[in-house]
Formats: sequence, C-alpha cells, structure tokens
Amino acid sequence: MPFLKNILSSRSLSIVGLEKNTGKTVCLNYVLRRLHELGVSTAVTSIGVDGEQTDSVYATAKPEVTMYEGMYLITSERHYLQRRCVSEILDLSNQRTALGRLLTARILSSGKALISGAAATAILADQISRFKQQGIQLTVIDGALSRLSLASPTVTDSMILATGAAVSPNLQQLISKTRFVCRLIDLPEVEPAIRTALSQATSGLWALDSDGLAHDLNIPSVFMLSSANSDLFRYGTTLFASGAVSDRLLKILAAKEEIKQITLIIRDFTKLFVTPEVYNDFVRRGGSLMALRKSHLAAVTLNPTSPHGYALDSHTATQALSDALNLPVYDVMKIEQ
Amino acid sequence: MLLRDKLQSDPGFQYIIDALNLISAAGRRALLDFPFLTTPETVNAELDNLKTVIGVVSVMENLHTVSEIKHHLMCLHDSQGTVANLSQHSVINEVELFEVKNIAYTAAAVSRSAEPLGLKEIFSLPDLSDVFSLLDPDNTGLPHFYIYDSYHPDLPDIRKRLKQLQARTDDPEAATLYADLFAQHNDIQHSVEAKLSQQLWASADRLALAVKRLAYIDLLFAKAGLASAWNFTRPQITPSNQQQAEDPQAIKQADNQAFTQYKGLFNPRLLHRNQEHRLRYQPIDIIVHPGLCLITGANMAGKTVLLKTLGIAQLLTQFGMYVPAESATVTLVDDVIFCIGDEQNEMNGLSSFASEIIKISEVVQLSASQRLLILIDEPARTTNPVEGKAIVQALSDILISRDSFSLITTHYSQLGVPCRRLRIAGFREDLANATLSPENINLFMDYSLVEDNSDTVPQEALRIATLLRCDESLIQKALQHLKNQ
Repeated sequence: MPFLKNILSSRSLSIVGLEKNTGKTVCLNYVLRRLHELGVSTAVTSIGVDGEQTDSVYATAKPEVTMYEGMYLITSERHYLQRRCVSEILDLSNQRTALGRLLTARILSSGKALISGAAATAILADQISRFKQQGIQLTVIDGALSRLSLASPTVTDSMILATGAAVSPNLQQLISKTRFVCRLIDLPEVEPAIRTALSQATSGLWALDSDGLAHDLNIPSVFMLSSANSDLFRYGTTLFASGAVSDRLLKILAAKEEIKQITLIIRDFTKLFVTPEVYNDFVRRGGSLMALRKSHLAAVTLNPTSPHGYALDSHTATQALSDALNLPVYDVMKIEQ
Repeated sequence: MLLRDKLQSDPGFQYIIDALNLISAAGRRALLDFPFLTTPETVNAELDNLKTVIGVVSVMENLHTVSEIKHHLMCLHDSQGTVANLSQHSVINEVELFEVKNIAYTAAAVSRSAEPLGLKEIFSLPDLSDVFSLLDPDNTGLPHFYIYDSYHPDLPDIRKRLKQLQARTDDPEAATLYADLFAQHNDIQHSVEAKLSQQLWASADRLALAVKRLAYIDLLFAKAGLASAWNFTRPQITPSNQQQAEDPQAIKQADNQAFTQYKGLFNPRLLHRNQEHRLRYQPIDIIVHPGLCLITGANMAGKTVLLKTLGIAQLLTQFGMYVPAESATVTLVDDVIFCIGDEQNEMNGLSSFASEIIKISEVVQLSASQRLLILIDEPARTTNPVEGKAIVQALSDILISRDSFSLITTHYSQLGVPCRRLRIAGFREDLANATLSPENINLFMDYSLVEDNSDTVPQEALRIATLLRCDESLIQKALQHLKNQ
C-alpha cells in the first residue's frame, strides 16, 4: 500500500502530470480504489476538460475513472450522461463548460465515469471548501495537460506528480526534468511570521527589512524591472515577488553584487516560470529561493511506456529516479502489485 | 418597451440597476424583461407589492425566514430551456428531470417560507406538489434525482447484477456481460425518462409560471433591498386623465393636476462618488408641469446632472421601483427621451450635431401623439450660434404647447420664448472672497433651483475658467475681447 498514508492527512489532493500519458488516470484509479477500501469519504473532480473519451492529442483511449459507491463526483452534463454507473444528481451549477453545466452527483453503485471540471482554480478551491464543509474527508482533483497551477498549495493540500517516458525517452533527461520540478516543489517554506508580514503584499515586488517589516518597492510588476533599478536593496536583500516570476527576474538578481545575500521569496512553486539553466545559475551564484507556502509532494509516479511505443525498463528507471530525487518512486503500471 | 431597452440611456440609471442584488439567472432575466409601466394602476400595484416586501424585510424577526427564501432562490437553476422542451412535448433526460424537480421543490419551499411573512398572496406560486411527487417516488423529500429503482420493475434486479459484475471486470467475459447489461439498463432508463416526460407535458405551463414567479420574487427582494439601503422613497402617482375620458371638463382638470415633483432628489452615482471623496452633496427640490421649462445656470452648476437625475427617477418609477428622493409625486409618461450630448456615434458616421438633430426631430414628431419626458442638454451647441439659437427657439415654440414634460438646458440668452425658466442658483456670493479651487468648488455652489423671469443667462464662464486655473493669457485676452464688444 504505497503512499496512501501520505495523503490521508490532507483534505485535498491534486494529481498532475508532467506530460500527457504519464499515467495520471491510472494513478487516480489506484488512489480512488484504495480510498474506497479504507472507507475514506471522497469527492472527485477535474480541472477543465481533459479531452474526450479518446485523448485528443495522441488519440489513445482516455481511460474512464472507476468511481465507488458513496463517492461524490463533479463533472459536466455531457460526461455525466455518458457514465456507466448508477448515481444521483445532487446539484447543478450555473457555471458552464464546453461540455455543459457542472453537476454534483453521489455514486449509488460503483462504475465508470468521465470526469471534467471547472477550468478556473478559484472555482476549484471553492468546490473543495464546500466539500470540506459537507464533511467530505478528501477531494481529489484530476489534473489536465500542463496545468500545474492546481497543485498550488492555495488550491490543494498535497499533490502526486506523474512523470514517465512521455516526458523524455532518454532516462537521463527524464530524471533531470523531473528533478528540476521536484526541486521547485520542495523549495523551503518561510517562517509563519514572515508569511504574516507579507500578507498585505498582493502585487508587485516587496522587501523585508531586518526587523521583518514588509516594504513595497513600488515596482508594479517584476516584468517591469530592469537591471538599472539600483536601489532594489534599500530595505535589505530579502525580496518577495507576489506574482509570477520568470527568468528575467532571476537573471537580474543573479547579476547583482549582493547575489550571495539575496533571498527571493515566491508565493508557491506554481508561480515560478523559469528554465533550469537560469535557476541553476541563480543558485550556483549563491542566491536562495523560498516559498510562502510549500506544496506537499505525496508521491512521484512513473509510467515507463511512452505513447510512441518506447518503453524504459521499469526497475532501472524507478530506481534511478528514486535515487536522484531521494524520494520513493512508483511505477503506475505495477502499483497494484 | 422593456428595461433592457432603457439600460443604456444613462450611466447613472445603469449604476442603480447594476446595484440590484439578484440571486438567480432567472431573476436577472426578469429584470431585463421588466416592462415600462404606463398606467397608474400597474405602477401602483407594483409599488404596493414592493412596499409590502420592504415592510417584511425591515423587521428584524423576519430576517431568518427572508434569508431562507434567498437561499432557496440561490438553488434555482437556469431551467428556461428545460421547461421549453417540455412544452414542446420533447422527452427530457435525467439532468433536465432533476431541474424540473428542483423547480417544484423551490416553489414549495419558497411558498412555505412566505406564509408566516404574509407574502404568499403576492408570491402566488402555483402548486407543483404533483410534479414533485412524480419525481420523488421514494418520498425522500429531497431535491436530488436519479432514475429510481421504483420507476421500473426490472431496474432493481438489473442494478444488482451490474454491481456483481462490476466487482470482476478484470474477467473479459464478465466485462462483456457488463457492457451488454449496461446497455439494457440504459434502455430502461430512457423508457422511464420518456414516460416521465409524457406525464410532465401537461404541467409545462405551471412550471413556466413557477419559474416566472420565482424570478419575480428574486427581483422584488432585490428592489426592496436597494430601496432600503439607498434611502429611496415611494413615488405617489398622479391619476391619469384617461379615467374620465368622456368628460372634457374632467380631462382639463386632470391636466392641471399633472405635475411631477421631487423633494430632496439625488443622483445615487454622484452621491456615492462625492461621499467617497468626502465631498458635499446637495439634493434638490423641483416641480415640473407639462410644457416647456428652460434650465439655466453657470457652468459646473449641475444642469446636466439635474436632467439626468429627473430621467432616472422617472424610469425607476415606471419600472416599479422607489426613487432617490425624500418625497416624490410623479405623472407617468409614455417614454423618457434623453438627449444629453454624449450621442456622438462615430461608428454610425454621424457627427455630434447630426445625431443630436436626428434625436431632436424624433422628439418633435413623437411628442405630437405621446406624453413624454423630454430631457435635452444644450441643444444646437455644436453649431454656429446664429442658427443654433434659431433651432432652439423653434424647438421651444413647438414643445411649449405639447403635452410632454420638456426640460431644456441652454446658454443662449434672449430666446424670447414665453415659458417657465428655472435657474440653478450657482455661486454663493456670500462666500465670494473664499479661496476656490477645482477640488473645493462644490462647497461654494448652491445647486438649488430658483424661478427666473429674465430672458438672460448667467455669464460666469470666465470666472469658472479662472477657478480651474486656466492659462492666464487666455483669460486676459478673452476679457479684452468682451470689453471690445
């Protein structure tokens, strides 16, 4: 029974894939079955519409998700009518998706269903909190193609990262790409006092002085920053970027004399849109990165088969990835055993 | 004419409509589809309902029940399509059946809550208990829905077998059996859907009525909430002259009674903006009669705002709402025509003068057969003053004898039109020596209206230009030119 106990303490879980065909749905099916066996009250939804019954990108079959008696489901009208289980409609929302309105149902007799959901993380967060209020222990969210945003700790408490040969058929590249994402997920979290101090910082770039007080640097967006800004450190070298951070900011900071003292705080790893090269350079020069909130990475799963038919050796690949990440890694295809 | 047609007539009107806190999509539609009411009976009936609801909402003890009703309305779905499908005798699917059950459930729940509040009669929701029972065969009393086992004798058994097979879908044989059985299961579901739909066809009208009434209730609560929160008042409606149509003497008498009067009239959008900037806001008192009234006053004295606010209050009244005033008496009109100068529409290829003159021509023609509230801000100001003045004179000649309420602001003097004139008092001379600035100018303005018998208009343009810190050389030169004339 791998990694289930890592999940049980959280109220919401996102399953995100680094690529299509990394075995997200297999993983979701495994998680749901285990939750059912453990008698955990569970709700399931998805971010956006992840293709139709066949995967729209590679035309491989999109597996349906097996839902169990007593579970709650949010999906679109169209997908609901295609389900192969007995379930009862509890609520219909006025939010429309490409596949009709979203509805909430309770599964009366186990069976398969297609899951689609709201495209906006704000709506997801709202649905999760509503399920929480209704006493649902865990809400599981199926991720969509390259949407890491739902794994933000502001949306879900913990996450499962699915990776595999679809990311790269070259094991070394697969490891390096996955390790980079894991490193960002694993950025150290700031002290609660700092989080409180920065709670007012909703936009732009801020600085923390030696007394822990936050100051607005009056730069409306980090994208407007140029290397000419010389007084960036007038309050100290601990900075907070309230929004998205790109290569640009890291490059500017890495070029500063004070780089060894610089700590850049970001909201969470989903706000970081940087390339490994620039990130590594920033860190190598002595800069450090921290997150206001850290995501809880419950597990990493690996699908050794790529949609193009290429297959890695399961044992070698999981072992190598596990060593590189210093985390247990599970082959989704063998997870059941 | 519906509210949606008038929504664009003035941003201040739209501001009020946007502030209505509607809970359901159906309520929003009911608002936009609300008709422009033109008889005292319909307006009064609407205002009576509103008054009752305001009375209920303002009692502390009722708040719990009121929020219960609002909660039920929040759960109302946008089921227009479903009800239409039923009235066209279509078969509806289980999601739509859920919507129908939801309508029946909501109608019953709202009706139940309305009873202790004494609102049941105003709400007049149709009884849909038969619809609810049909869709709740197991008597759960809940608004949830699925094709219940009890709808078909074969369903319990087939579902039991499906469950057994589901447990061993790894076995290919079981998987095939499962697929076949599920197809069979779906066929039964569809036959149940068809049967239920047929049984519901006859109730389509009642369901449509229920949705309409629920939407109306949502709208009533929104209107009541706004009226209380923004201190609006109920307008008294003057009796119409059509009632005594046979008696010419009575018509004449009714015409004399026709007037619209506001005490403490205010423009909510402006009031809120001023409050935000901690600025003073001065409500105004005004009475208007059929015929023409010219409004004069210095720049920045609030002539345009006055016109707009009168238009807003008239629209609100005739859309069955309270008005932003301390007290109000309103004579109903057939339409409110705004001609406030932001008419320029480059997309139509019309200049500001062209679109204005087209609108004015419309007003002249319409007012021959209808009683209107006509609000024209500085007509013909965008053309040469010689012809412009002539146009204003001609317009005045026509409107003076019309049955409509016409208010025209102007800067033209010596129009020679024998009509009523109202002047906005303007600068308070007692404060003439105070230091003025564009920011504090409204402290030194008196926005009240005074009857004016002269045919000249105030000439304070240069004074205001000075206040606005206009370029010194420009003002000096203008003064020189004035002297030379």
